[in-house]
Amino acid sequence: MQMTAESKDSAGVASQGGAKREIFLPPDRERLKEGGTPHVVAKNFSIFYGDFEAVKKVNADILSKYVTAIIGPSGCGKSTFLRAINRMNDLIPSCHTTGTLMFEGEDIYGKYTDEVLLRKRIGMVFQKPNPFPKSIFDNIAYGPRLHGVNDKKILAEIVEKSLRKAVLWDEVSDRLDRNALGLSGGQQQRLCVARALAVEPDILLLDEPTSALDPKATAKIEDLIEELRGSYTILIVTHNMQQASRVSDHTMFFYEGDLVEYAPTKHLFTNPRDQVTEDYITGRFS
Amino acid sequence: MTDTVSDSGKKPDAFVLSPEKLRRQRIAKFVGEGFLLAVASFVAIVVLFIFYFVAVDAIPFFQLRGFTEFFTSTGWYPADEPGEFGALAIIYGSGMVTVGSALIAVPLGISAAICLSDVLPFSVRQYAKPVIEMLAAIPSVAYGFFALVIFAPLLQNFGGPILMWAWWLIAGPFVLLAVIVAADLLASGKGDEARERVMRTAFTLLFGIIAVGFLYWVGKTLSAIQILSGTNALNVSIILSFMALPTIVSVSEDSLQAVGRELREGSYALGATRAETIVKTVLPAASSGILAAVILGIMRAIGETMVVWMASGNSSHIPDPWFNYLESIRTLTATIAGDMGEADQVTGSARYHVLFAMGLLLLVFSFVSNFISERIVVRQRKILAGE
Amino acid sequence: MDLGTRKILDRSFTAVGITSIVLMALALLIVVVPIVRGGLGALYFTGTVEHRKIQYEEFGEGDGRRLTREIEETEKARAPVYRFLGEFEAEMESMDPVKKRELASKYGKVKRVLAHMLGPLPGEPEPILLRFQYGRTRWEQVEESLHDLLFVTKWDYSNPEEMAKEYFVPRIDEFRGTALAGLFPYVENNIESMMLPRPTFYWGFITNKSLDAHIFGGIWAEIQGTFFLAVGAMLFAFPLGVIAAIYFTEYAKDNFFTSMLRSANSTLAGVPSIVFGLFGLAFFINTVKVSESKSVLAGSLTLAIMVLPTIIRAAEEAILAVPITYKEASLGLGSTKWRTIMTVILPAALPGIITGGIISLGRAAGETAPIIFTAAVSVGATIGLADVFSSPTPALSWNIYNLASEHEAANEIRHVQYGMVLSLISIVLLLNLSAILLRARISKKLKG
Repeated sequence: MQMTAESKDSAGVASQGGAKREIFLPPDRERLKEGGTPHVVAKNFSIFYGDFEAVKKVNADILSKYVTAIIGPSGCGKSTFLRAINRMNDLIPSCHTTGTLMFEGEDIYGKYTDEVLLRKRIGMVFQKPNPFPKSIFDNIAYGPRLHGVNDKKILAEIVEKSLRKAVLWDEVSDRLDRNALGLSGGQQQRLCVARALAVEPDILLLDEPTSALDPKATAKIEDLIEELRGSYTILIVTHNMQQASRVSDHTMFFYEGDLVEYAPTKHLFTNPRDQVTEDYITGRFS
Repeated sequence: MTDTVSDSGKKPDAFVLSPEKLRRQRIAKFVGEGFLLAVASFVAIVVLFIFYFVAVDAIPFFQLRGFTEFFTSTGWYPADEPGEFGALAIIYGSGMVTVGSALIAVPLGISAAICLSDVLPFSVRQYAKPVIEMLAAIPSVAYGFFALVIFAPLLQNFGGPILMWAWWLIAGPFVLLAVIVAADLLASGKGDEARERVMRTAFTLLFGIIAVGFLYWVGKTLSAIQILSGTNALNVSIILSFMALPTIVSVSEDSLQAVGRELREGSYALGATRAETIVKTVLPAASSGILAAVILGIMRAIGETMVVWMASGNSSHIPDPWFNYLESIRTLTATIAGDMGEADQVTGSARYHVLFAMGLLLLVFSFVSNFISERIVVRQRKILAGE
Repeated sequence: MDLGTRKILDRSFTAVGITSIVLMALALLIVVVPIVRGGLGALYFTGTVEHRKIQYEEFGEGDGRRLTREIEETEKARAPVYRFLGEFEAEMESMDPVKKRELASKYGKVKRVLAHMLGPLPGEPEPILLRFQYGRTRWEQVEESLHDLLFVTKWDYSNPEEMAKEYFVPRIDEFRGTALAGLFPYVENNIESMMLPRPTFYWGFITNKSLDAHIFGGIWAEIQGTFFLAVGAMLFAFPLGVIAAIYFTEYAKDNFFTSMLRSANSTLAGVPSIVFGLFGLAFFINTVKVSESKSVLAGSLTLAIMVLPTIIRAAEEAILAVPITYKEASLGLGSTKWRTIMTVILPAALPGIITGGIISLGRAAGETAPIIFTAAVSVGATIGLADVFSSPTPALSWNIYNLASEHEAANEIRHVQYGMVLSLISIVLLLNLSAILLRARISKKLKG
């Protein structure tokens, strides 16, 4: 990958004087000094569907509490990479990985890793809003109940807190017992965010969360991401470059399975280092 | 990343398990999935058990009596001392009603399936499907009751006229169609349009008169027929065809639907009519699936017990002439059902075991035809998927 | 070919298709309509005083005082009949032996018909069988008896080419000039006051037990037996089927073993129903000995095996129809696979699974062949719930066969047979109808 001088430097900063490692970091020293620590670290990480290498030897540090956008043309492996982080790819039988992907220093694909506990820490919101065909309350309470919270009062608190965080409380507080499928698409998607937040994850993965929504609902989701910035590590896959530039601190650009460029968003969009990146963000292909 | 490891390792909700816990979790998962697998395998075990237990009780018969008598003799006197166990007439009876019901159900079923998949608008189809499901849902004993109490007396009292009307209604339209087509084929290719038209009319009239005469003659012959017993192979064949129809229709329809739009559009675009499109393009593509449907339908007919037991007359002989559907017959299923009542008093006798031998015969037949139809469906799916 | 001919062929092709659909609908109507008509006749008919007598004396149903009045009334109307008989018997004593012998047998026939119609004649010993203790309960049966009384059936063999023809001769001709001659016109003119026919709604047909092998009474024992057998079968098959479907859809790997299991499933679906009966006899009763001989338990187990493939297929389809997004959402929240299945996938698939269950329940209720050797008896009382492990039971499907084909008075109890067939068809079709409606609601819901 692009082992630029800058990135090597920043890796050095991140590891705080450790041994020389091939880690790829965004060269935004100012932010790092403010307390950025790597939260998810990919080392030579590849994902295969059968023999097909969908993501090729990615090296990257994803920083804690920042919003990182993943962009690229369809089929470039961006969603695959995102879904690898909380092991949703396990659902696909032919899918396997090589290299390492670390979360808080532990190998996500390690022998002793429990993907269920992992997913509790790494929440996910999907492309299409996918509330369960249950009440709004039960949708939010689903996660906490899974993890052993059964007290009605505590559940009610969690539900309110999560809905407030997702900026949905005011709209639904009077009809928590209604079926969640009755909400509008945008509300459903915010409900899904609230549902993910209710299990108090450290990382929130958003897989094209606005692609099925109208512009108004999209704006609300983007506001919501703004609201959550700083509290969670957020990764958002999007095919909408304006969205990436609006909401993210860092941006990764994938092309045909390669992580072509990874930089602070304003750098990547104003001054891309790679020709392919430039072609993509200027709309020569999509 | 040693630094972050030490940080996160102390977190209360670490996602990494201790080896001990992992082992316990693995065992739990293994036990759980093992249980599910055991339940899922239950069906396979049952199939093996069915084969085993039917075969175990069937083999003593062949040890006692050998194969020749069972498959070649028509003498069925199991209660005599010594008994005779020739099942040829019974096997023939099973085959006869199966063929008879297939002759009715297959053309009817396939044209109904075509109609459902290609002709009827969706709104009508919605009402046609429940009709088919209802036909399939009616219990066999109700069909048997209908055949015995309502249909058999009708056949016995009005057999001739019923046959004549059926002949006119079914054969009439087809014969007329054949007349038109034949006249057209003979007249075309003469070049001169006016001459062609005259010739066509002449041929149509000529063939028409011959055809009506033919129809009338056969109808009159049929109406003179006296049916001695309403419980006969014809009765059973008709009722069995009702029961085989739903299977044939629904499986054929699935197979017709599996033939994509593209194929149909390609044919229409070349100027084919709907009938030509279906007959020349869609049916050949769906033929294997339809064959599977026919096999499944036939299996229903041959395995059916109550209708044949109640309405076939249960007389163990090969009709004379061999295709005489107006005579009573006896089938394998009805023999098992009817004779077990007396035979299970004498467990261990040839009389008891011969019924299991018949069961085994049915079982083997159903297994083979099921296997064939499954292969056919798999192959069609592969061909349509372009593999 | 001429374009006109091609068009005609095309239209006739369409016509053939539509005709075949219409024929199928007609077939359904032709089978169902007479059964419904006949079956309703078991519930609603013109009942005679004898019907009301049975209901009162055997089941304690009806208005006792009114019945007493009615009986008095009919006895008054019947008294002349018995007087005619008495006078004729006295007359016979004084006849010459040849004529006496000749008339005696003819008179015996008259007495038999009368006893059949009115119940036991006075002065005769009380019959043992219930069927001879009462007269005819339904008006159309009375009319039949009346015809038998008034006419002698003869056969015309004059034309050897054709089958013999039936014709009737007035019976009164045999007794012209005797005291009995007055009997025939009297009975013909007073039959209504002798039997008091009245439109009757006999709800007890469903809830009463049968009396004297279904000559009188209702079919409760059969309905209950069918219920026990079908529900028992579902108790075994439904959980097994759903669990197997979960395995096939969520856990099974795509390998040879799995495809073999699937083949086994479709093989089982194709096994003829009578072979299930043989297997049930050979395995459950003769080998495992779940019961001494036939029992509800053995029948339920046999039926369970039979409906298992249907349940598995329906449950598999229902589970596969659950959108994968539900599963993703649940797993994404840190749910285990098993909890995802239990809390998200199964609830969403439940209506579809239940649809399959309902259809299977209907099939189990309607099947006859598997229970012939394992559970069904021709004549039997209602059994208690505790007896299901050891006793056989009457069941609608089997008793329809039995009454229609093997009962000694099959022709006289057609109404009972029709009533049973209608009950069975109603149960099965109602179950299927509810399944169809349920499915329509599901597809509406999925569309939004």
